[in-house]
Amino acid sequence: MLRLPLFRAISRSNGRLTSAVCFHNSAANQQQPQQQPELIELFIDDKPVQVPPGTTVLKAAAMVGVEIPRFCYHERLAIAGNCRMCLVEIEKQVKPVAACAMPVMKGWRVKTNSALTRKAREGVMEFLLVNHPLDCPICDQGGECDLQDQSMAFGNDRSRFTDINFSGKRAVEDKDLGPLIKTVMTRCIHCTRCIRFASEVAGVDDLGTTGRGNEMQVGTYVEKLFMSEVSGNIIDLCPVGALTSKPYAFVARPWENHRTDSIDVHDAVGSNIVVSHRTGEVLRILPRVNEDVNEEWLADKARFSYDGLKRQRLITPMLKIDGKLQNVEWEDALVAAARALQDLPPNKCAAIAGCMADAEVLVAVKDLVNTLDSELLTTEQEFPKSGAGVDLRSNYLLNNKIANVEHADVILLIGTNPRFEAPLVNTRIRKGYLHREQNVAVIGPKLDLTYDHENLGQSPDIISQIKSGSHPFCEVLKNAKKPMIILGADVLTRKDGDKILAETQSLCKNIEKTVKTDADWKVFNILHTNASQVTALDVGYAASLEEVKKAKPSVLFLLGADENIKKEDFGESCIIYVGSHGDNGAQIADIVLPGAAYTEKTATYVNMEGRAQLTNAAITPPGMARPDWKIIRALSEIAGHRLPYDDLHELRDRIAEIAPHLVNYGEVEPSNFLKQVYELAKTTQGSFLPDPIDIKQKSLDQFFMTNAISRASPTMAKCVQAVQKQKQV
Amino acid sequence: MFALIGSVQRNLRFSSLRQLQTSSKHLSDALFVHRDSEIDNTNSHFEFTEENKKRIDSILKIYPDGHKRGAMIPLLDLAQRQHGWLPIAAMHEVASILNVPNMRVYEVATFYTMFNRRPMGKYHIQVCTCTPCWLRDSDSILKTVCDVTNCTVGSNSADNLFSISEVECLGACANAPMMQVNDDYYEDLTPEITTSIIKALMKGERPPPGPQNCNRYAAEPITGLTSLTSEVPDRSFRVRPDL
Amino acid sequence: MSNPARIVTRQVKPLLSLNENEARRRVFGLYKAWIRQVPFILQDYDIPKNAKDLKMKIREEFNKHRTVKDIRVIDMLVIKGQMELKETVEKWKNKGALMFYFKDTVEPKPTDFMSKFMNGTD
Repeated sequence: MLRLPLFRAISRSNGRLTSAVCFHNSAANQQQPQQQPELIELFIDDKPVQVPPGTTVLKAAAMVGVEIPRFCYHERLAIAGNCRMCLVEIEKQVKPVAACAMPVMKGWRVKTNSALTRKAREGVMEFLLVNHPLDCPICDQGGECDLQDQSMAFGNDRSRFTDINFSGKRAVEDKDLGPLIKTVMTRCIHCTRCIRFASEVAGVDDLGTTGRGNEMQVGTYVEKLFMSEVSGNIIDLCPVGALTSKPYAFVARPWENHRTDSIDVHDAVGSNIVVSHRTGEVLRILPRVNEDVNEEWLADKARFSYDGLKRQRLITPMLKIDGKLQNVEWEDALVAAARALQDLPPNKCAAIAGCMADAEVLVAVKDLVNTLDSELLTTEQEFPKSGAGVDLRSNYLLNNKIANVEHADVILLIGTNPRFEAPLVNTRIRKGYLHREQNVAVIGPKLDLTYDHENLGQSPDIISQIKSGSHPFCEVLKNAKKPMIILGADVLTRKDGDKILAETQSLCKNIEKTVKTDADWKVFNILHTNASQVTALDVGYAASLEEVKKAKPSVLFLLGADENIKKEDFGESCIIYVGSHGDNGAQIADIVLPGAAYTEKTATYVNMEGRAQLTNAAITPPGMARPDWKIIRALSEIAGHRLPYDDLHELRDRIAEIAPHLVNYGEVEPSNFLKQVYELAKTTQGSFLPDPIDIKQKSLDQFFMTNAISRASPTMAKCVQAVQKQKQV
Repeated sequence: MFALIGSVQRNLRFSSLRQLQTSSKHLSDALFVHRDSEIDNTNSHFEFTEENKKRIDSILKIYPDGHKRGAMIPLLDLAQRQHGWLPIAAMHEVASILNVPNMRVYEVATFYTMFNRRPMGKYHIQVCTCTPCWLRDSDSILKTVCDVTNCTVGSNSADNLFSISEVECLGACANAPMMQVNDDYYEDLTPEITTSIIKALMKGERPPPGPQNCNRYAAEPITGLTSLTSEVPDRSFRVRPDL
Repeated sequence: MSNPARIVTRQVKPLLSLNENEARRRVFGLYKAWIRQVPFILQDYDIPKNAKDLKMKIREEFNKHRTVKDIRVIDMLVIKGQMELKETVEKWKNKGALMFYFKDTVEPKPTDFMSKFMNGTD
């Protein structure tokens, strides 16, 4: 457990009274004119630099472009100062100092390349290497190893190490951290980055150091799975090959991989990723830094489910012949599909978008269905269409942006478990909880969110109670400066979803009235779980599943939709499945048209805050699979309703016509009209159901397999198994 | 003899004088990972006695709110005193009392050598073999202890009466050689005295701790006092007569 | 140029030949030289062609340029042909380079959307 500031401990023990005092104090502080801290001038290698007091030497050096080598220091973790690699000489000081931990003083002259500094680095390097095995040829970190690189750059060029007793080097037994992380603890240099990550970011205090001195080991002490949904990040953090990826073990060297920048679609965060691939195979997935979205972390499902891209794939078009799906050529499949589309009466063609449909295919299908005189477009996860519906974006976005989650001081989570629905939003909340005195409350079942929070109960009535001011939690909200209400998308699929949405919105309206927030601070937020949801709502998938079922469509398109869809509901429909994996949807389909997965197409995805981002095609779709939108385009031509775009550029122009922000890549269009959303919410009628608010993903084993790709992944299956086994113990 | 020196010099000449070598392999008899065993496993339960629970309450009072985890070492010590050694269940109990993750307790318990994470005998004999004691022939003391208890360093005797550890300086260098039996220091030892102490322990007696081989009270010079030898002056010493 | 209407009758410098006849003679000379080398080429290069194929190909290559009238261009083509012959005879070329003359015609890439889609090419 991290050491908490004293006043947090006090506020926790004494309840809300003192926390109110806390907020009052912070308010008092803000009233004073902000004092500009005086800058300190110092010299790094004779280059002058001015920094605020409290800056470390290492950071000051980085400001003038001087890189000081380090192992244990990491920008996003607490400072440990135990590797000593960042020793630098400071003029008129006897000993070299650790740059990562030393705050600067006025007029210091730091020498990062003096003889003393170089000697210190060489010494540290030598001692590290004395206790490090010489197994680079069989080490998976080889080629991207900090120790290799830094020993080349700063180490001595010859060895003084002789094993005079031929007794071997220090050896440490390997730990079993589960099916994702391979450990070779002999290689560990005790930088403690993984330990700090586990306790600070992941919030799972399972890693630590045991023993002392030369016998010290990093590990779990008891044999135990590292039960975290962001565990894969310690692989990236490890500067040596002690923690490496188990599925990627002995697969490839980093220099022989091609790297393609892309976007993750396993949740609605839209984490930026790099797809490493070679010979038409995805070999691994790494995070890419994007401060506004995922910082530099990545959830395990996004990182390790790539082996699902090779299994259960649809590689040829299929037709249901004599009640059995049989492989056919594209021509036959398209002609069969086109025949189904012939002479349809209005509103007899429908489409349901799955959780990983991209903007391109959504628009193409919408255009096709609209030309067939139908408006029956919906998503597999329903969104209430009452109130503002999909007409105003603020109604269904995480309006406040992901990066601002950590700045909130009170967060109320309604019917969502961000830890598993959006792990990187959860790390933001944890960050706010640790560093910004954030208070978190949950309406929903009891959860382990990796931080302390108040569970207000499971009944939806609590929302009304908070709204009317009769609930004790109102006191906390009243004193908040930056409150956020995060509503889970899943809870809105309930029968009374529209009521929950409207009630939450009017609660937010009340809060905005009583609490003086900044003009651009948005209280009302929705946390989506499906990567395609926001896009689909943006381009106008405005029908509901119920409407689609009632219309009894003759033709039903499933765009990778696997959840909530039963054959019985669409008994008379010809179901055309366009998707990458043979999952529930393909099973009930009459015509299967194999599409591309997210690593195989250049496609647009919009994350929960409304940020359009682009995936790039890393590899080609397997077999006869084609990018999804092209399938729709080809079908439209054969069916005689040719869609007016032949390539991505023309399609993007069309997308821009519908929703210009969808091609404004990397940016978030500020969400407006919240006031109108609140007004429209008043029109919603109905009342709450008595059922308590429940959440689908409550424990870690429910996290790993949530969509077609992760369900096809053996690694994810192993994770589920491991977690369940750990639970039994 | 001279031939030997010659060969050493030759070796020195050929190998560099400044060779690094790894630290010696054997450093500790303790294992720094947990292995489940019948008596020490993660499923077992440990409970403080009522008396100790009162002690815990008063210990916790010393530490301010938010820093209760500072009581970890006293609590672990209490658990070790109650149970004779420190099973993993006790660490879990301490962790739950202090509301810290188990791992943070493991870290502390494995760091300090005085927390014994394996079953110990009734008497834990710790023989100091650091330089001053070693110069005063602590080797013979250690050998005697091992012989008399019929036990080796790092293990328990067959009757579970004794455990022997070889430890670093216990801070009684003036009275070297010395050993510690549970909380008692036995100083100024000779092999014979050591034997008699252990024999007494076997009978269940508690030989008087302190310097053994001489008439010293504590760590004063063995030849008698060299300073402060005069009478202790009375209260009026050097005080103004009018007071 | 001061007067754009002025006709420039610039005498171009000849490359080799001074008149058409001379150029024609050079072309025939080169053609005969190629034909004479055919048996030796077959001997030197292990290619799946016979003398008739080669002669046909040589004829075809010469016929490609039969419409050329400019003496300077003819001369340049003759020079290039000689270089090619030299490279062939001296075995500076390898088999593949020679077989390049016999390359099959390539099917044009599909350009419309549907053929591209069926082909699986972008």
